[in-house]
Amino acid sequence: MSAKELGAFRNHAHASQVLLHYSGEITSSVVATLSDTVRQRLDDSAPDRRIARRVFSAFIEMAQNVLHYAPPAVDGQPYGSLTVAHDAEVFSVLCCNRIRNGQIGRLRERVEAVRKMTLDEIKATYRMQLRNDEGDPEGISKGAGLGFLTLAREASAPIDYRIVPVAGQPDEAEFHLLAII
Amino acid sequence: MTVFHLPPTKETPEILIDEENLRFSMSGESYPENAMTFYGPVRNQLATLLTLPGVAAHGLEAHFNLRYFNSSSTKLIRALVGMLQRRAEGGSKIVLQWQHDPEDDMMAEFGEDLRDEFNAIDFHLIEVESA
Repeated sequence: MSAKELGAFRNHAHASQVLLHYSGEITSSVVATLSDTVRQRLDDSAPDRRIARRVFSAFIEMAQNVLHYAPPAVDGQPYGSLTVAHDAEVFSVLCCNRIRNGQIGRLRERVEAVRKMTLDEIKATYRMQLRNDEGDPEGISKGAGLGFLTLAREASAPIDYRIVPVAGQPDEAEFHLLAII
Repeated sequence: MTVFHLPPTKETPEILIDEENLRFSMSGESYPENAMTFYGPVRNQLATLLTLPGVAAHGLEAHFNLRYFNSSSTKLIRALVGMLQRRAEGGSKIVLQWQHDPEDDMMAEFGEDLRDEFNAIDFHLIEVESA
C-alpha cells in the first residue's frame, strides 16, 4: 500500500464510520485485545450502557464464533475479519470468515431459521435451547445454537448474512454476518 | 473449613465459595473462550459445598451479580443454579439473590427465567445500579 492509498483507505474507513476493523489471524489473544478496544471505544461512543452491552455482546459472539468454527488456514489459525461501525443511528457489528462447503447447508439453515423469528420466538427458542441438555449432535455449535439466538436478541433488525464462493478454493466459501444494534 | 476463591479477571467472574458461612457468590463478567475449563472446577467446589451437613441444617445463600456473560457461559451458569435447585428440592433452604443493572433487560429476563424454572429456590431479583 502506498502512502496515497493509505489516505484513501483511511478516508473510506472514516466515511463508513468504522469504530474498529481487524482483518487477519484470529487467536485468543487477538480476540482479548480487540474486545478491550471495542469496550473502550463503546464507553466513548455508545449512548447508554444498554446499547454498549448489546454491541459488545454481538462482537464477542462473532469473534468467538470465528475462533471456534472457522477452519484453520495453512498456518493453523483461523483467519477472518471483525468490524464495528457506528452510523448516526445504529451500530453495525460484522464478521467475515472462511467456512467449509460441507458446513454451508447447516449454517444457512440455522441463520435462516433465526432470521424468520419474531423477538418472542427468538426468546422462546433461546429458552428451549438452554434447557436442551443433549447438546448439539452435529457438533457444529459448541453453544448449541445459542450464539445466533444471542446475536438475534441483541440486534434491532434481523441478522443478515452472505455466503460467497472463494476463487481458487473449491472446498471453501466465505461467510459474512451482520448484526445491527 | 475452607474458602474457594477465584479473583475476577477481565473475562471471568469472581467466585467465592465459603464453606464456613455457607455462601456461594459470583460476580463480574463471564466471556472466557472456553467456558467449560473455567466452570468445571467451580461446579466441583459447589457440589462439595452442597454436601456439607451445615447446608442441610442451615441452608445456603447464593449471590449472582453479573454484568455480562457470553452464550457459552449461559448454559454453565444455569447449571450452577440447577445444582442449587436440586439441593433445595432435597429440603435445604436455598436463598438466591440475582442482582442486575436496572438498564440490563437481558440479565433481568435471564434471572426471571431462572426464577420460574427453579422454583424450589427462594429467588430474589434485585436491581443494583452498576458503577
